[in-house]
Amino acid sequence: MHRIRRIAASLAAVTLIGSAVPAIASATSVITISGATASYPLVQLLAHKYVKLLHNKVSFRISQGGAQIGINDVAAGRVTIGDVSRDPLPTDPPGLVFYPIAKYAICVVTNKSNHLANLTEAQVQAIFTGKDREWSQIPGASASGPIDIISRTSTAGVLTNFKSLFLANKSVSKLAAEEPSEGLLEQQVENTPGAIGFLSNYRADSGSVNPVGYNGIGCTLANASSGQYSGVARFYEVTKGKATGAAAKFISWIDSSQVAHKIVASQWIPV
Amino acid sequence: MQRLRKPWSDHRAELLLGAVSLSTGLVVLFMIAFVAARAWPTFAHNGLGWLGPGGSLKVQVENMLATSTKPPASAYHVRAWPIVYGTLLITALAVLLALPLAVLSAVFIVELAPTALRRTMIRVVRLLASVPSVIWGLLGILVLVPFVGNHLVTASERTSLQNTVQLTGAGLAIAVVLLTLMITPIMVALTCDALATVPPAWREGAAALGVNRVRAIRAVTLRAVRPAIVAATVLATARALGEAIMISMVSGSVFFSPRPGDGVAFLFEPVRTLASTIVDFREGLGGAPALNSTLYAFALLLLFSVFVLSLAGYLVKLPLRKYQVRG
Repeated sequence: MHRIRRIAASLAAVTLIGSAVPAIASATSVITISGATASYPLVQLLAHKYVKLLHNKVSFRISQGGAQIGINDVAAGRVTIGDVSRDPLPTDPPGLVFYPIAKYAICVVTNKSNHLANLTEAQVQAIFTGKDREWSQIPGASASGPIDIISRTSTAGVLTNFKSLFLANKSVSKLAAEEPSEGLLEQQVENTPGAIGFLSNYRADSGSVNPVGYNGIGCTLANASSGQYSGVARFYEVTKGKATGAAAKFISWIDSSQVAHKIVASQWIPV
Repeated sequence: MQRLRKPWSDHRAELLLGAVSLSTGLVVLFMIAFVAARAWPTFAHNGLGWLGPGGSLKVQVENMLATSTKPPASAYHVRAWPIVYGTLLITALAVLLALPLAVLSAVFIVELAPTALRRTMIRVVRLLASVPSVIWGLLGILVLVPFVGNHLVTASERTSLQNTVQLTGAGLAIAVVLLTLMITPIMVALTCDALATVPPAWREGAAALGVNRVRAIRAVTLRAVRPAIVAATVLATARALGEAIMISMVSGSVFFSPRPGDGVAFLFEPVRTLASTIVDFREGLGGAPALNSTLYAFALLLLFSVFVLSLAGYLVKLPLRKYQVRG
């Protein structure tokens, strides 16, 4: 019977702590964020700095899962802000407001053993639509044999941007592998000597794959910042209706403060 | 506090435990109702025809996404045969491979191994059975996929199929091998349990009649646990059917139906299953209603198959009771 009393006592203690925590937390405001995996590293850095500057008067809960999850969550009111790595689409739920927070480059990438330096728009389209099937058809490629196209599942925000920026909205070949995340795409390109895929510049620069130039311009942060590299897309913070309260302050801080600009400029491009 | 100190009466304990087990049943019912309701539009627009072949599943999924919040009836059009076929193919191959492996190892562990080895083996098997599937997936994507892609797939296979399918290494063979590794320990463990309950007198009787050990195992022990082996197979099949994350990681992520006519290359062709498709497109859940409903329809089909299988597993175990052998 002692055990039952002990269990009862600990349950009571847990209940007390549980009810005390919200009381403490109510002094600070909580911003909940979910969405794109591609923008997660940036938002994480920004949120961390913002919490420090405000001396913990605000706190964040950030989860990642994909741009479409950000859209769905914010439209349903499950989070304050949705992170989205693509432009607004006509199929998005009505009433969402998109605030651009940074730009990022999309790099075409190949396996490290394939020292391909550059592709033209026409070549990228021929490869990804499945017209050219062999590396021997691509001048400058050191890989041989068939081209293995590694793409993303059709829900991915980066794929949507890739299609509009590089493929003139043509569809990726039905032969392509459709990876559910940037990490799996990177892994597959790293594994496969004949592979070609596309990644946001943050991942493409990680050293595991070979970033390929586009229309004669290298896919580097410097070229993307200067505006020479054309494969550039935007990260958005999305709210349901106009941003209000803590979320609005956070978004306008990203937009206006020097500190936030420095974080964005470290690996991405300020808007 | 005074009341807590008293021991609970049988009646109160009975009520409490009854409520708990009843609520598990309610959760199952609620789950089926929820999934069925979400899947309904897909059934309403396609009937049962969505299980059949027709058109490109990739294009159909893209159409679902393109229509978002207010989809026209045409957006629900889906013909999921490639992944139904993929699910059946992977499951059947894995179970066929696992069955002889499992029965032979179980016989060795229970009947032939020395006691010390038997105890260790049983522990190892139970440990293997509890390895999370994502670990198998990681092993696959980091070790097996590069190995198969770089050493087993030949250049001529890749070139001859280059306009049909990409052979990157990720595909049928790796998914089947890993799935076999995942379900064999479950089958071994269940078969071991059954073998251990065969009355020693039966074996002794066989020995007294002058039958040698191997023949006695075949004619007496294995025959007695046959229903348990079937039951283990059925449960392993259910496990294999529902495996999602590992298959999503190693099977190539393309809507493609592997073609046995391609010879050895058949083994390296990519494939998707019902469960791995749900994982691959999980981002679409809660979004475009047509895709949402289709994914729930896949889930409902899986739920249905697993229930049928576990019912079958229960039914085949019934004859065991006749011999007072517990499976």
